[in-house]
Amino acid sequence: MTAVLFENVEKRFDGGVTALKSLTLEAPEQKFVALLGPSGCGKTTALRILAGLEMPTSGRVLIGGRDVTRLQPRDRDLAMVFQSYALYPHMTIRDNIAYPLWLREVPDAERKAKVEAVAKSLEVEHLLERKPRQLSGGQRQRIALARAIVRDPAAFLMDEPLSNLDARLRLAMRGEIKRLCQRLGTTTIYVTHDQAEAMTMADLVAVMGSGVLQQLAPPEEVYDRPANRFVATFVGNPPMNVLKASVAEGELKVHGRGLAIPPERQAELGAAGVAELGIRPEDIRIVAADAPGAVPGEVYVVEPMGSETFVDVMVGGERLSARAGKSFRAAIGSTVGISFDIADACFFDASGVTVVHRAQNQGGKQ
Amino acid sequence: MSKALVRKDRLQGAGLDGALPYLLLAPSLLVVMAVLLYPLIDGLRASTKFYRYGKPLRDVGFDNYVQLWSDPQFLNSLMVTVSFVASAVILETVLGFALALFCSREIAGIRFMRTILIIPMVVTPVVVAIVFRLIYASDAGMLTAISQTFGGGSVEILGRPLRAFIGLVALDVWEWTPLMFLILLAGLQSLPVEPLEAARVDGAGGWRLFWDHTLPMMRPILAVAIVLRTIDAFGTFDQVFVLTRGGPGEATRLLSIFGYDTAFKFQQTGYAAALFVTMGLIILACAMAAVRLLKKVEAK
Repeated sequence: MTAVLFENVEKRFDGGVTALKSLTLEAPEQKFVALLGPSGCGKTTALRILAGLEMPTSGRVLIGGRDVTRLQPRDRDLAMVFQSYALYPHMTIRDNIAYPLWLREVPDAERKAKVEAVAKSLEVEHLLERKPRQLSGGQRQRIALARAIVRDPAAFLMDEPLSNLDARLRLAMRGEIKRLCQRLGTTTIYVTHDQAEAMTMADLVAVMGSGVLQQLAPPEEVYDRPANRFVATFVGNPPMNVLKASVAEGELKVHGRGLAIPPERQAELGAAGVAELGIRPEDIRIVAADAPGAVPGEVYVVEPMGSETFVDVMVGGERLSARAGKSFRAAIGSTVGISFDIADACFFDASGVTVVHRAQNQGGKQ
Repeated sequence: MSKALVRKDRLQGAGLDGALPYLLLAPSLLVVMAVLLYPLIDGLRASTKFYRYGKPLRDVGFDNYVQLWSDPQFLNSLMVTVSFVASAVILETVLGFALALFCSREIAGIRFMRTILIIPMVVTPVVVAIVFRLIYASDAGMLTAISQTFGGGSVEILGRPLRAFIGLVALDVWEWTPLMFLILLAGLQSLPVEPLEAARVDGAGGWRLFWDHTLPMMRPILAVAIVLRTIDAFGTFDQVFVLTRGGPGEATRLLSIFGYDTAFKFQQTGYAAALFVTMGLIILACAMAAVRLLKKVEAK
């Protein structure tokens, strides 16, 4: 069943900025959906429209099948975690967590029990009598979560809840929120610009770009079968390499080199109108410059990461990233060859839409 | 501290460097002493003297202060002042806050509205008082004119004790609500937006939002505005001087007017000085109590 549905939602702000252009997005019940995209892609606006803090210019928003487009936030049965935590500065932590229950006139004893149970599950019982300003960022974060989960809302909305935390804490909380959401089984809409958060936490990733939903799919699919060039280059670190390419006479032309197309891909590639080729850094092999089938290039930079090494190679004026083994070393400026399997590449047409996906788990790879 | 550092400090303190801050401060300090400190000390000294025209100067110690508290005229003035300050400040706070809440929303024409609302504050107080005198005048005033248009008789405001007092409060409210409005509007606009949004999502409607969040978060700003306005209202003089001179009877005789009369009409300089010092102490006590209350609220 659909928990949250955006239907052709458009949002234009005064002054002519269009934040959302006809967003249609379905979040299934009990799923963790991450809205992922660069700044200004409209993801936070979408969340605020869902919460009722912004009105869409046109389109409808449905929660559990009910049209809530014109409803006040309080009538939508949602709980939200803000980027700045948005704790009530003048209330104690206990009152902060209890507030949503208090507004719903939950009896005193039940309210007290619930607040204490939630505080215990998030390990913040010892903070209950303090004020928000006496807490660290990580503790405030937990209280904001506690205030959201103290009720049983139709959905949780989270607006970049981890981005104000330091890197270490962010990693720890990432796992905790994932576990929490799975345990509660409540639909969660999670806005983030951090692809690691989206990929690791979400059941479904909704990649947004320039006010449009680019792709809604499980994380693996977003990574392996990106719907278009935007998704392909936004997801992945380092991002997918994109090279100009064309198909002619049964060969794939890349920077003047003809690469033989395996027979099983001949038909689909020939008909597709290929303009560009995308290949993930881990699918590129660095070989000797004169190896058969290799495209020669010049080493731009070598970045040892400890567990692996990122190598950037200039090929015909384009900079490609490759992932090499941890012990790979090469001098800057030296000539190397790069090679890859055409089966691992995906292909985009002139408008950037993926016309041919990478071959799925064929040939014993992966 | 290392030896080199000690030596450097001494070198700096020994030369002009050490005296320079005091030299730079000296001109403004001298001015402050001349126009603030000297009159204050002189006032305190005067308050312990008995001086009346034609009689020799006498040292009376604290007699002037003691006499004040058994002087029915002073006690009446004190009562009038306190009632005036309380009614004016309460009305100004409520009205100013209401207007600020209204104007903090982004709706069409709101900038124009905000500008209009602060105009009374920039008009010279004496001018305001003269204009209000024209409004209140019983023979050809605006209120009388309006009343006569509708077939009524002349409206007498300044001739009757209670009406004159209300008229004075109305003038002060008209003139000083804009200041409250301005301070509170700035306060409202500086409140964090997220807690209010969080409360809306948590389920709070308009009234709950105001009582549970806006008002508590505004409390420090409200306190500062009220203290400022209270101190200022205590010293109100020019409007009353132009409008009623304290009358009819003693109905609008604020401490400032009573003190002025005592000093310049009745020539009892020492007694008037004691009165003004007492008034200053009352204001100081009020301000300190307010500040302490504010700190307590913030610490809670």
